[in-house]
Amino acid sequence: MSAYALFKKDLASELRMRYAINSLIMFIVVTISVILFSIGNEKISDFLSGGLFWVVIFFSAMSGLSRAFVSEEERGTTLTLQLIASPTTIFSGKLFFNLILVFAMNIVVALLYSALFDAFVLKNLPLFLYAFVLGNIGIAIASTLIASIIAKASSKGTLYPVLSFPILLPLMLTLIDLTKQAMDGTTFETSYIELAVLGCYDVVMIAASFLLFDFIWKD
Amino acid sequence: MKNKYIFGGVIVVVFLGMMIYLFTKSNIQYESDFGKVMSTERTIKATGSWVKEKSYEINKSERTFVFYMKDATGHEMKVIYAGTIPNNFEAAKSIVVTGQYKNGNFHAKDILTKCPSKYQDKQSAAASS
Repeated sequence: MSAYALFKKDLASELRMRYAINSLIMFIVVTISVILFSIGNEKISDFLSGGLFWVVIFFSAMSGLSRAFVSEEERGTTLTLQLIASPTTIFSGKLFFNLILVFAMNIVVALLYSALFDAFVLKNLPLFLYAFVLGNIGIAIASTLIASIIAKASSKGTLYPVLSFPILLPLMLTLIDLTKQAMDGTTFETSYIELAVLGCYDVVMIAASFLLFDFIWKD
Repeated sequence: MKNKYIFGGVIVVVFLGMMIYLFTKSNIQYESDFGKVMSTERTIKATGSWVKEKSYEINKSERTFVFYMKDATGHEMKVIYAGTIPNNFEAAKSIVVTGQYKNGNFHAKDILTKCPSKYQDKQSAAASS
């Protein structure tokens, strides 16, 4: 069984059940409208709106991406998967599916956000896009690994954000910093350090998760 | 199978080290050359001393505190701080301002004053003065 076959299976079952998509859409709509109502006619600063943007993304990722391995556990298909495919294949398939989900979700959030908030003005759009792509990859990798850890735990809902927070914290801090800089309109030369941090984070996460997933999956 | 763990472990360690190194570098830097401070709009910690000849100005209606600072090479810049005058400002040997340079003025978010210590013994105080 190849990673692509697993991805196709996940995509087909997601399109049938629409569990992750529904919870993501509901979450995004609810949080953004709550922020809109609470701001009202108040003028918020650019930096605050940049920070809120990543808060929305962090929590919607928490609500939607935890399903990757929990769904296998609920349907009782974990053992079958363990028999027919190697851990690396399974992780690649799940990771690919989560990547698609994260990108779709974050593009929707970004579009909604820039349409609804006047303060969210990016002077250096290419810089933001680089940070956005690297950040999304990081979120997808970290959330897939943590989803596999919590799949067998009894209180999945609370464990997921608790475990993710310390792992995603450096990523979020750098992303908020980069968004701030993109809003200031700084050039690539001044913020290449932050971009390099993001790149290193992604490499570390992907190497570590392929190593660790073998052990998580075996038990 | 063994090779995979060694190879992966090396990648993780190398990139984690790089990331930590870069992370510490990305924090706000100290800068004592005002030429560099004026050339960027990054948030920076500029160190220098107060130009006593030009005095300072407290604007009570706008709640700003304005003064001039110079560095070792003689560059001067106008610093605008949204707040009141810090304690011991006039006695300070050197000043560290955190903020960014914009439109010809340095907008400070924070001012640190470095004062001559009260707690030196008489000999070293005499030696240092």
